[in-house]
Amino acid sequence: MTSTETAHVPAVQLDACTKEFVTPQGGSYFAVKGIDLTVMPGKFVSIVGPTGCGKSTVLNMAAGLMAPSEGEARSFGAPVVGVNRRASYMFQQDALLPWKTVLDNVSLGLIMRGVGKKEAAAEARRWLAKVGLSNFEDRYPHQLSGGMRKRTSIAQAWIVNPDILLMDEPFSALDVQTRQIMENELLDIWQESGKAVIFITHDLDEAIALSDEVVLLSAGPASHVVARYDITLPRPRNLLEIRDDPRFVELHREIWGRLRDEVAKTYAAKAA
Amino acid sequence: MSTTTTRAHAASAASAASAPRTPRRGSAHSRSETPATLMRVYQLLLTALVLGAWEILGRAGIIDTFFFSLPSAIGEAVWDWIVTGFIFPHLWITLQEALYAFIIGTGLGLVLGFLLARVRFLERLFEPFVQMFNALPRVVLAPIFLLWFGLGIESKVAFGVTLVFFIVFFNVLQGVKSVDKVLLDNARMLGATERHLIQHVVLPSALTWIFSSLHISVGFAIVGAVVGEYLGAAAGVGYVIAQAQGVFDTEGVFAGMFILMIVVLFVDLGVNRIERYLLRWRPVPGA
Repeated sequence: MTSTETAHVPAVQLDACTKEFVTPQGGSYFAVKGIDLTVMPGKFVSIVGPTGCGKSTVLNMAAGLMAPSEGEARSFGAPVVGVNRRASYMFQQDALLPWKTVLDNVSLGLIMRGVGKKEAAAEARRWLAKVGLSNFEDRYPHQLSGGMRKRTSIAQAWIVNPDILLMDEPFSALDVQTRQIMENELLDIWQESGKAVIFITHDLDEAIALSDEVVLLSAGPASHVVARYDITLPRPRNLLEIRDDPRFVELHREIWGRLRDEVAKTYAAKAA
Repeated sequence: MSTTTTRAHAASAASAASAPRTPRRGSAHSRSETPATLMRVYQLLLTALVLGAWEILGRAGIIDTFFFSLPSAIGEAVWDWIVTGFIFPHLWITLQEALYAFIIGTGLGLVLGFLLARVRFLERLFEPFVQMFNALPRVVLAPIFLLWFGLGIESKVAFGVTLVFFIVFFNVLQGVKSVDKVLLDNARMLGATERHLIQHVVLPSALTWIFSSLHISVGFAIVGAVVGEYLGAAAGVGYVIAQAQGVFDTEGVFAGMFILMIVVLFVDLGVNRIERYLLRWRPVPGA
């Protein structure tokens, strides 16, 4: 799975994807409607939008955990049928297996792909060193702090060398400082890895600071893409100072102006 | 996860083994609390007080020793049974019955619980029948098992199985069904096949439920053996108690009770150890 052979084919492409859920009352509810999204290999794309706008649905369709009701999800040219084998997923919630040690959690993906135990453990140790958890391989997840659990999740997702990384508000549960550290580490690992990233967040700062492109979704239900912004800030970026960059401020003002409208709609709908 | 709460189906009328366990003391709040060793001393004093009062009141004729015997006489009987070796074959039989009941009941509960949890059709099909059999007071099955399997250990094992099975069954059913969806999705994204999912996610998740009911099912296995023996047998501690009762030997009844109590206590300690080892990944409550 080299990414050079497919450099011009989108890693993820959603064509007019709609997801409809049947409500318990027998009615129907559109989470997203007519979503178009193209993510090229090596690109970092963030999806932002007000709460309840179906951001996770978009990610789940790209992951193959959810099939679109209409439209098509493609990955590297092939339709996504079942789980997308070229993607890893970092969930918003804790998804580490609590009964496995850090080492076993990280090596799980390799073990399930048939890699030998020793080899998988060696590779897992390499990744744990990379995310700064070398001394914690025998711990169980509950013995780790929130930031350490996220690091473990990163190692777990990256060890299988996916071409696509799907991240659903991975750092939203962390405190601000830990979060910035994690964002920096994520960029370090991602830089020049050639992997496509779809990053979901409700934090516009985070989205702009990390991404090549920010996709703005409208308020739900039946949310759709309202705008896309290319983030041309040079890389490598220093996340600790980027927020003072005049171009950052400019982009933030522009996108926030639009996002604010959508957020206002969400609240208006709730109040109604 | 709600693994610390007692299971709904587990204990209704259980044995001593299923009594709620006292939470382990955290080191954080030991300031105003009596130290553990001192508490042991108090406990011994309390025991001495109760037994002493019993003994004195019995000797003074205030308590009828025909019905309540005397602690010293009970102690003598226990000692006698131990030094003559009289009780050991009986104890061995009882423990064997309990062990078989535990293994078979757990096995059946695991397999059927797993099957029904995974196949929605079967779950819906069997639901009323499962409820019916669970509602049945299990003691009434003892006579029919005696008819079917005779006075040997088979009838007691069968009886114990009916007790153990439902506890394990309900826990597995619940455990398998309540597997965290995010854990499943995560494993799927990491490349898990159905077999992998069961091996790495579903079974370990369900096992926590089974282990947390281990105390209760072990206790029930022993209850099954003893009650079965009591109702009709040729050997076992329950049989010894029934025999003693038949000749108005109150000391024998109490001695049998005492020995069972001690044995179950030790079994429970063993279970504690196993549980602590197997669930070592779980956070210690209050830590």
